[in-house]
Formats: sequence, structure tokens, C-alpha cells
Amino acid sequence: MIATLTRHQVRSLRRERTFAVFLGSFVLITVMAAILGYSSSSTIVRVYDEATRLLASSGQPAPPNPFDLKPTLALLSNMTIYVPFIGAILAALFGHSVVVEDKASGIGRIIFTRPLSRSTYLVSKLLASAVALAIVVIVGLAISAAAVFLINGTISVGDTGRLALFFALSWAYLFAFVLLGMATVLLARRRATALLIALGVWVVITFAIPQVTSGIRPVASLNPIAGPAGASEPFFRVTSNLRPLSFSEEFKTASATILQTGERQSLGATLGHVAPLLVTILLLGALCLYLVQRHDYSRSGADD
Amino acid sequence: MTDSWTTVRALARHEYRAAVRSRTMLAFGIILVGATVVSVYIAAVDYAAQLADYEAYRSAAQANGLPRIAPSPLAPLSLLRGALEYLEIIGAVIAITLGYLSVARERSSRTLALIRSRPVGVKQQVAGTVIGAVGVLATLVFATLVVGTVCVGVVGNDWLSGAQMFRLLLVGLAAVVYLGTFYCLGLIVCSRTALATNGLMITLGIWLIVVLILPQIGDTLDADNQVPGGLFGALGLDRDGETTILASFPGYERTRTWIEDASLTKHFERFAFALTDVKERYRVQGLGWLVNETRADLVWLAAYALALLAGLYRTFRRASVSTTNH
Repeated sequence: MIATLTRHQVRSLRRERTFAVFLGSFVLITVMAAILGYSSSSTIVRVYDEATRLLASSGQPAPPNPFDLKPTLALLSNMTIYVPFIGAILAALFGHSVVVEDKASGIGRIIFTRPLSRSTYLVSKLLASAVALAIVVIVGLAISAAAVFLINGTISVGDTGRLALFFALSWAYLFAFVLLGMATVLLARRRATALLIALGVWVVITFAIPQVTSGIRPVASLNPIAGPAGASEPFFRVTSNLRPLSFSEEFKTASATILQTGERQSLGATLGHVAPLLVTILLLGALCLYLVQRHDYSRSGADD
Repeated sequence: MTDSWTTVRALARHEYRAAVRSRTMLAFGIILVGATVVSVYIAAVDYAAQLADYEAYRSAAQANGLPRIAPSPLAPLSLLRGALEYLEIIGAVIAITLGYLSVARERSSRTLALIRSRPVGVKQQVAGTVIGAVGVLATLVFATLVVGTVCVGVVGNDWLSGAQMFRLLLVGLAAVVYLGTFYCLGLIVCSRTALATNGLMITLGIWLIVVLILPQIGDTLDADNQVPGGLFGALGLDRDGETTILASFPGYERTRTWIEDASLTKHFERFAFALTDVKERYRVQGLGWLVNETRADLVWLAAYALALLAGLYRTFRRASVSTTNH
């Protein structure tokens, strides 16, 4: 039953505009990240050449090239920003649309006149969303791998593995927001309220919590090369205990380790950054399951 | 004239009250004020320690009879940087939500036809709606800035002077214009879509591009932002060296500037940061010089606001025709 429903959901999602928008936007941000990485890197090399010439003319020695130590995947470092900033909003919208149509169109009311349990219904929705999301990140992985190959002239097996690991982590991060989008639809009576609650949670996770735990200002968090936090030590000694709950920050740290654009960390430490996210996914899944059981589908169609 | 103004005032009061009663608006307002308090607190704790150090230095210098005491390098207004960034991001979402709620409320209660059955013109309706919304946004902006200022005083131990308060007032006015533009955008797009929620999604997409993506691209392409602490600093170059080198990349810098100029957020940010001493090189300049320096950003801000106000007028006029036809 679940397999049949999941297949049906995947077919439905493929026809929906929201999925096309999600996929198209993800392709766009992946391409944009590659172009920006290439453009800024090549410009920095030219800036370095100019600086060397300028310093030589005044008899000063050439400084070390700051890009000599840049890893090959550094040109995709913008992806570590685009996934939690743009991808997460798109994922929440996607999760929202997966559940809201059945609720708003009245189909939900008809579905449950058949011998179908609500948990089966929700699990099939979750599986279909997981598959759709996997398609999105696989396309992103293919584009990123192609970009690295075209720009660097080669791509090693290790780099391919790192890219695959990064996109697997991105899948988990985005899936948490898909679940958030679903949970808010099941929680709120009105469609727009559900959308705005999801957006509010995204704002808090993406901007407010990183500021509290690490002193990262909202606009500074948009730059993959973030400067050190300039805030008092005692304050952060307390709030840094909450850092595992700063999902966007933890995602960026784990991604930087995987792509070798940040400081090197052990596998255990990297998994430590990811574990709270995985626990949250399980909790959100359980919340969705609870909410779908008590959701009043007889109100379908009256909300918007 | 008096009757017309009474009508506008009644419409504005209705818009204001409806927004204030909305739980969604209240929740976003709490998030904005809460985030402001956190950001200013974090900055002000450090500031208080630096201020205490400076005061100790000044007392020691005075006790020793030093003829010249170095002025304080501290800038209390710059502590509000986080609050301004939150206004840019969350404030814009609140303004869009306000526009959406205005349309959704009118559609669910079908009040437009009722209002049009009374002697209310399109201009009066636009004026009433916009004045009401501007009132809501002004309340929000000034509540945020007052909370931020109190935090600077209480946590940072430094209360703003009259001149600094005046600068903050100007920034607050610019913030109201900035948020009013997003309100008009939300109202226009939601009015023109069959389902207001779809309009809300489209407007949030535009918000994402204007507020986050375009400034992010501009920032990422900034050569100095490529390494922590600044590329030019890492290469041992001062401001003159940076200017000399960037002159060799006119095309690159022009493209980067165009991308940033396309974002309304960046124009508000440049003006607000210049007046609140965020950029160190502006701290020595007077208010007149700063306003003159950022006049292009003010013109952009005004141009966006006027264009969207005109768009709002067209939208209301169209709604008027459709109400008459059906």
C-alpha cells in the first residue's frame, strides 16, 4: 500500500509546479555558486599579480599568495551558504505544498473515506518527498562535479566523494525543512499562517540562533568567509553550549570540513555537528505523524 | 477637503487597528524586537568593557595633567548595526505580510465593494491604506530603535547624544520608506493573484532575491571579502593601494556595483550604515557630508517607493473597475 501511494505521490509531484520551481531554483543556485566561485577566484589571482607588481615597484617583497592553499572544491563554497539560505526556504515551501493541496482542495476529506490509515498516508508523502528531494540534490551534485571538472580540468575520486557527502548532508538539512513545511500546514488552520510560521522558524534558525551562539551578524552570515566573532567571551561561554542547536551554523561547519574549505576535523567531530540535525528530523517526522492523526480534514477547502 | 481627510483618516485607522490585532504581525514583531535586543546586547557587552578602559585612561591622563587626551574611538551608534540588519531582513518580511493580510482581509470580508458603495475615491483609499500601513511600520521601526537605544545605554553604559538621536531618527525614516516599499509590493502582487497566498509566495521570492541574493552576490564578488580579515590587508596594502589595484578591474567592479545597485536593501544599508558610524571612515564626517555622500542611495530609495506607490494606485483603480463590472 505504501509503495503504491508513494509511486502515485512521486508522479503527482513531478506534474506539480512547485517541484519544477524547486528543481529549477536549485539548479540555478548550483550554477550560480560555480560561476561566482570561478569569477572571484580568478579575479583574486589577478589582484594578487597586480599587488605583487605594485609592491615590487616600491621595492617591497611579494606577499604569499592567499590562494595557494585553497582546496580544489573552494570554488563551490557558496553552496554552503545557498543550501541553508535559499534551499531551506524552497524546501519549506515544497513541504508546504505537498500537504496543503490535499487540505485546501478537499481531496483529504475524500481520501479518508477509503480504508487508508493516516500514518500510511503520511509515510507515503514523506517517502515521495524524500525521493523528490534526492532527485534535486543528485542534479545539484552532477552540476557541481561537472563545474569542478570544467574549471579545474580534472576531478579526483576523493573530491567526487566529498561532493557526494556534501550533497547527502544537504539532503538531510533540506529534508528537515520539508518536514517543517508539512508540520506547519497540519498545525495551522490557515494556509498563509502555516507559510509564515515556517518562515519565522527559518529566520530564527538562520539568523537569530547563530548570532546568539557565535556572534555572527545576519548579513555576515551570508558570506562563506566569515570573520571571527567580535563579542565578549563570558557571554559566549554560556551560549556556545547551545551551538549544537544552531543548525545552519553546524551545517556550514560540517560542510566546510567535508569540502576542505574550513578547518580540518576528525570524522567523529564532523558527525557530532550532524547528529542534532538527524535527531531533529526524527522528531519532526514524529510530530507530523502526531499532527496528521489529529488533523480535522472535514475543514478542508474552507481555509483560503 | 475636510470630508476627504476624515475618510482617509478612518481608512488609515482601520488599517492600523486590523494590523495591530493580527497575531501573525505580533509574532513577527516579537521576533524582530527579540533579535534586536540580542544583537545589541552582544555588541554592547564588549563596548562597555572598552568604554571602561577608555574612561580609566582619561582619568589617569587628567590626573597626570596631560595636555592632550586622545578622543574616544568608540561609536555607540554602530552597536545598532545588528538591529538595522534585522530591520532589513525581518522588517521586510513583516511589511510583505502586512500587505498580504490587507488583501486577504479584504477578500474574506468582501469589504471593497462595500467601501466603494460609499463616496470614497481611489486616491482616498490608497492614501488611507498607505498611511495606516506606514503608521504600523513606523511603530515597529521606532519600537525597535528605542529598544536598541535603551540597550546601548543600559548594557553599554553610554547614552546617545541629541545629535546621534537625530541621526537615528533619519535612519528610522529611511527604514519606514524601505519597509513601505515592501508593503506596497506585497499588496500589489497579492491583489493581482487569484489566490492571495500565491501572491505571498511570489513576493517572498522577490524578497529573497532583493534582500538576500543580490547583496550576497555583491559581497561575495568583493575582492576584499575573499579571506578572513580582508584580502588587501593580507597583501599588505592600504586604502590607496586597494584603490590603485581596483582601478585595473573597471569591468569587474562595475558589474559588482550594478548587482548591488539593483538591490533596494543595499541602498538602505549604505545610508543607514553611513549615519550610524558602522563604517569607520565615515565616523569623522558631519551629517551634511554623509547625506550628500549617500544622496544617490536616497534617490534610489525614493524612486523605488514612488514607483511602487504608483503601482499601488493602478492596482486599486483596476480593483475599482472590476468591482463595477461584476
